[in-house]
Amino acid sequence: MHISWKKLAIALAVLPFVVVLAAWIGFFNVGASSGHWKITEWFLHFAMQSAVRTYALAVDVPAALPRHAIQPAAGHFARGCAICHGAPGEPRSPVVERMLPQPPDLAGSGEWTDAQLFRIVKHGVRFTGMPAWPTQERDDEVWAMVAFLRELPSMDEATYRDLAYGKRLARPADAAGTLRQVLADCARCHGEDGLGRGPAIPVLAGQSEAYLLESLRAYAQGGRTSGMMGLPATAAGPQFWPDLAKHFAALPSTQPGGAGDPALVRRGREIAERGVREASVPACLGCHGRRDRSPLYPSIAGQPERYIEAQLGLFRAGKRGGTRFGHLMANASKGLADDDIRALAAYFSLSATPTATGMQSAR
Amino acid sequence: MGRYFSLSAASLLLASGHAGARSVLEPVGEEAQQIAVLFWVMLSGGALIWLGVVALLLHAALFKRHGMNERSASRIILWGGVVFPSVTLCALLAYALWLMPGLRPFTQAMGSTALRIEITGRQFWWEVVYHPPQGPPVTSANEIRLPVGERVELTLKSADVIHSFWIPPLGGKMDMIPGRTNRLSLLATKPGAFRGPCAEYCGTSHALMAFSAVAMEPEAFRSWLAGQANPAESAGASGGALFLRHGCGSCHFVAGTDARGLIGPDLSHLGSRITVGAGILPNTEDAIARFIARPELIKPGSRMPAFDMLPPDDIRAIAAWLRGLQ
Repeated sequence: MHISWKKLAIALAVLPFVVVLAAWIGFFNVGASSGHWKITEWFLHFAMQSAVRTYALAVDVPAALPRHAIQPAAGHFARGCAICHGAPGEPRSPVVERMLPQPPDLAGSGEWTDAQLFRIVKHGVRFTGMPAWPTQERDDEVWAMVAFLRELPSMDEATYRDLAYGKRLARPADAAGTLRQVLADCARCHGEDGLGRGPAIPVLAGQSEAYLLESLRAYAQGGRTSGMMGLPATAAGPQFWPDLAKHFAALPSTQPGGAGDPALVRRGREIAERGVREASVPACLGCHGRRDRSPLYPSIAGQPERYIEAQLGLFRAGKRGGTRFGHLMANASKGLADDDIRALAAYFSLSATPTATGMQSAR
Repeated sequence: MGRYFSLSAASLLLASGHAGARSVLEPVGEEAQQIAVLFWVMLSGGALIWLGVVALLLHAALFKRHGMNERSASRIILWGGVVFPSVTLCALLAYALWLMPGLRPFTQAMGSTALRIEITGRQFWWEVVYHPPQGPPVTSANEIRLPVGERVELTLKSADVIHSFWIPPLGGKMDMIPGRTNRLSLLATKPGAFRGPCAEYCGTSHALMAFSAVAMEPEAFRSWLAGQANPAESAGASGGALFLRHGCGSCHFVAGTDARGLIGPDLSHLGSRITVGAGILPNTEDAIARFIARPELIKPGSRMPAFDMLPPDDIRAIAAWLRGLQ
């Protein structure tokens, strides 16, 4: 049979219309029950794996995964991920197994590199049920999740349940009914005592009530972006925020112990009291030092070192929102060097709450 | 909103500039006087030479119908083209060089009895520290006062980029260069208030970086300086507490209070200054309140963050307290 170039061109021009027509009359079966055609399935997987591999080339991998932060990652995994991917002691629901494509059991996530896992967790995967991370600003949270996923295949049930739920052995309630339920959800990461279950979690016990309330509002309304805190703050619901803030503000804080690196602590104290004039960094204690300052300025004395370091880094990068006062810290931290941040974290993590001395001045 | 603010800022700028603006051609300082004389000498000399050249040109074009012989042409070139310009330029150079010692304090003995004022340019304001012969240094900002009839030494520095110091009717300009200390001397001959602009492009708000300069009778100056050395008392005490409560003291210094910040301008006697915002707004409670709420509308690129999230009553109370710091 002879096909002229002209006929071929006409056929190619008509083809898109035929496809649209077929879709319009409902020719294509979109049911998940029968699965993809073999070729479609092959192509989708091929395209997905290739894209993850290629886009992961642009990911900046930290020197070490933040293993200190796997506890909140586990807490978030229990809320957002386990429902589809399962968890130690929590097999995937039969409902989920009928999804197309079926979410993988993460016991076998070893085939991806750290950068590829980061790419998948941060951006999600199109044409699957895999969502993107709730915010694109918090790479630190995504890396914490990657660190957790690396541990997950070898994690036993008891370890997982302790990380994700603490003493409470209940699943988090998505639509919370009572303050007790909401508090139990908070305690999974913040602890019943509000001191935080690990170095990545801030101390809420004894924190200013006004600041806690405004922070919950900021998390829920997106002023302070966080995948891990945005969801629970929203899930708790505004009617519980004032009680939550009151509850944690009333818990007793503990005096920090330890000595730290004396030179680092001394430098941190100097910046806290006097600022860094050449870099336009104001003295921290002008706002954070005393009880007679605005209750919207949080107490940072006694917060975990790693937490302070992470927050100052986020402020400096312009990625740490906050209350209506958050921009003051974005401005104040612009001139901080990495060493300054480490020094401040060392100083404040060891200083008592609150410092009565306040700021000093060269004059 | 932004348009309204920028328009009103511009009209206020004109209004405030009107009061103290004077030109280099109305000198009230010895240095500016010398420079003005030099200018007039140059101008009139240049005008005379120009008239002579035009006259010669017209003479040649209208009346000289045939060429000169080579000998007289060479003579004209020698006298008019070599000898006259060399002598004139050398004389002007000698005159200008002879003026220089008066403008450069390090060429003459200043003596330790003189008042020294240290001025540091910052984006986009001026830090001013008075070093009187006796007594401790006195810090202020965005306003420079000096006694009439007494020579004052200025040390000029910069904390960030190149600025330039200039009080047109008194003297200058002299650049303020990071990492360098430049020195200038000024002798005001009449009292008055003037506007000093930053005379070297220094960033977004360069055109909004100015200061007020006030020449005062020596007695009045000395009692003013003594007053500046002590903490001011302001009536609106609640504003003072709010100032500290909201953390303003992290960046600003107010003598006699817990506000000990060194990042922004010293506000110890803000109420006694002619302008606020470094020479751009009249010193009123309203202008101070507007600056606190949205500094970037009045001074784009300012390091100060906006405080419009504070309750308006708090802003007004702080502004009233600051205005009262006389």
